[in-house]
Amino acid sequence: MKKLLSLMLVLGMLLSAGSALAETVTLKVWGSQDDQVMLQEMVEAFKAANPDKEYDVSFGVVGEGDAKTKYLEDPEEAADVFAFANDQLYDLLNADALYEVTINNDAIVEANVPSAIEAASSGDHLYAYPITADNGYFLYYDKSVISEEQVKTLDGILEACSDAGKKMFMDVSNGWYIASFFIGAGGELGLDENGKQTCDFNNEAGVAAGEAIKAFTAHEAFLTGDDSILTGGIGTTIAAGVSGTWNAEAIKEKLGENYAATKLPTFTCAGEQVQMASFAGFKLMGVNTMTEYPEEAMALADWLTNEENQLKRFKMRSIGPSNIKVMENEEVKADIALSALAEQSKFAVSQKDVLGNYWAPAEAFGTTMEAKDYSKDIQTLLDEMVAGITN
Amino acid sequence: MPKFIPAGRDRQSFAGIREIVNIFKQGDFATRSSFLIMGFGCIKRKQYIKGLLYFLMQVAFIAYMLGFANQYLSKISTLGTEAMRREWSEARQIYVRTPGDNSMLILLFSVMSILLIIAFVFIWRANIRSCYKAQQYEKLGKLQPTFKAEIKTLLNERFHITMLTVPSLMIVAFTILPIIFMILIAFTNFDANHQPPGKLFTWVGFKNFTDVFWSDPLISNTFGKILGWTLIWAVFATFTNYFFGMILAIMINKKGVRLKKMWRTIFVITIAVPQFVSLMLMSQILHDQGPLNMLLQKWGFIESNIPFLTDITYARITVIIVNIWVGIPYTMLITSGILMNIPADLYESASIDGASPARMFFSITLPYMLFVTTPYLITSFVGNINNFNVIYLLTKGGPLVTDYYQAGKTDLLVTWLYKLTVDKQNYSLASTIGIFVFVICASLSLVVYNMSGSVKREEEFQ
Repeated sequence: MKKLLSLMLVLGMLLSAGSALAETVTLKVWGSQDDQVMLQEMVEAFKAANPDKEYDVSFGVVGEGDAKTKYLEDPEEAADVFAFANDQLYDLLNADALYEVTINNDAIVEANVPSAIEAASSGDHLYAYPITADNGYFLYYDKSVISEEQVKTLDGILEACSDAGKKMFMDVSNGWYIASFFIGAGGELGLDENGKQTCDFNNEAGVAAGEAIKAFTAHEAFLTGDDSILTGGIGTTIAAGVSGTWNAEAIKEKLGENYAATKLPTFTCAGEQVQMASFAGFKLMGVNTMTEYPEEAMALADWLTNEENQLKRFKMRSIGPSNIKVMENEEVKADIALSALAEQSKFAVSQKDVLGNYWAPAEAFGTTMEAKDYSKDIQTLLDEMVAGITN
Repeated sequence: MPKFIPAGRDRQSFAGIREIVNIFKQGDFATRSSFLIMGFGCIKRKQYIKGLLYFLMQVAFIAYMLGFANQYLSKISTLGTEAMRREWSEARQIYVRTPGDNSMLILLFSVMSILLIIAFVFIWRANIRSCYKAQQYEKLGKLQPTFKAEIKTLLNERFHITMLTVPSLMIVAFTILPIIFMILIAFTNFDANHQPPGKLFTWVGFKNFTDVFWSDPLISNTFGKILGWTLIWAVFATFTNYFFGMILAIMINKKGVRLKKMWRTIFVITIAVPQFVSLMLMSQILHDQGPLNMLLQKWGFIESNIPFLTDITYARITVIIVNIWVGIPYTMLITSGILMNIPADLYESASIDGASPARMFFSITLPYMLFVTTPYLITSFVGNINNFNVIYLLTKGGPLVTDYYQAGKTDLLVTWLYKLTVDKQNYSLASTIGIFVFVICASLSLVVYNMSGSVKREEEFQ
């Protein structure tokens, strides 16, 4: 009896050792809630394409916007491969969170648009795989209310809206959108040699942009709020709105035949017409430096962002690609929202040099303007804002 | 035989050391050896199991110190000198990471090790004491207590040790250790630019404290103003809830009001809805384009939206009012019970003397209530200083303003602290603010509590 027992024990140990020999690669992937189904399909395809290894891939719901925060909470517990917005790149590099892309990097650089590669790089080093080039904003409008001529200037749009008793929507109390005025007027957000944020939104041009924001928010046709306000009101109370591709489906449905989208208008800045700029945001896929399987994780990140899967993203979720070949695709070209974004991208600046401290002070300025609180003049407010951003 | 005289209570702090010195003076060879080799004296006097246990503890402690704690404790003064390293691997075509120093782990494990060292000193002292006791037993010719007998005392005269060991260990591990760790972080530069494992952080002394008070104008200005609003908020939130809850309870409690139980139930039912659900709904309802504004506009009461949550003054009033709305049922419950306890003859004699209802409230009800509920008021005041839910779920601290550092006009210290940690990873600044919040809460509570009638005139309570 004893012999039998010991034999079984030995057998059991051998078996467990045997299964450990055929190594399983355990990887965790983070993506947004909406991407989960799509990511699973992509990973299944990845497993099928790499039959030589056993993959055990798990998924976590962490949106691109929260990736940095969640990562820094516990780098070792964070996903091996995770999607993030490109403005988090420096913060992540600061924590040495990302593996430099050193496998297949030339092909990746070649396949994607230069702006996306630039957004994923620091100096000459590529640190992430571009997923999309659509994290930007432009103008949606109602063709029946605003003519093609009027849509070219902010004043024209506001006038058309006023005449029709409708509103123009823009979330000015949000650092991402409000930057459009400052950068349009020639303002710059950058980094000094110590990696600290620099900002010149309180110079003469910045104050002119601030005055334009003041006039815009004080206009009777101006409306602010979050995305739900825009998608809820467009077509009925709202005739034009600044937003991005993620609202394309909802707005298209509401406007029907009158659905139109174009670049942002020009605005009156110190008596002249100035083109509104925008932030060009990219979504990137990064490989965690804490991963146990760097090569496999890189292969997976590469796979999730390759041509085939960027096309899949467009088809399943209407997400604009960063891959040059996918951009040339007929279907992608026919997309109204994406072509408006492409038009706006000529006036877009990279969001890479924007650090975490920018957002709250910029939002504070927007909030003050929206609340029509004019107890301090624009110059004072902007000085305070810049002090907060660069602190 | 020289008698061992224990030191008086007043000099207790030195008593321990003096006792050890005395034992060393009077101990024989075996007892003295136990100073170096734990349990030696016990084994010598045939208390084998006990002696061996002490010895094993010593071995384990030395192994722990050399094998584990050493690598962290040796770096505590700098919190690490070399962060994670990266080296190019030609074979793998990647930058291979070699783990370097992790300031956070160094700090954490150092604190843990120091606590263990302190614990070990106590064990060491117990070892010396029991060895000396064994020596005295031998001298007196008494039988040495067996290990079994000593274990048995844990169920009788030393039962408190049996009961309290596990809870005490838990408190040290889960409360004291994290608190010390977090207090220490206030003296470092652990922020977004010094994130382990990629970067190291180090000691900066009192820099964070001076930043908060004067040396960084933006931060100290923000701190001062948020502290001011936090106190205003705490006073309003506490006393509005207290008085309105009491008035509600008095109204329901009044003679002649019918269906008392039904009224109470209606108000208490609101407690059944989780507070954060009500708060998030409220924030939606009060939104600039929210249902309330839309309704008011439709009915023609207002021309343009009321900025409930986006205008500074409106937002501050709104959070206080919504807090009244979610908080009153609790005060009503608490005060109802106390109100019913006030002797009715007090009111009867007062009304015979011709006292008005207001006079009765201020002369009978209120003093009685305050007498009983001061401790409750203190806890709710401290709770309101740290009332994260109401503020964060309603306004997220907004409206933001340009002259605050990463904060808005309804931010309390605790919500600001949350933003600094979760959004900005500025742990050292947040920890500093946390220490201040604690100091404010603790000193307020102690002073008010000790001045309160509940403490001073405890015996008068009927």
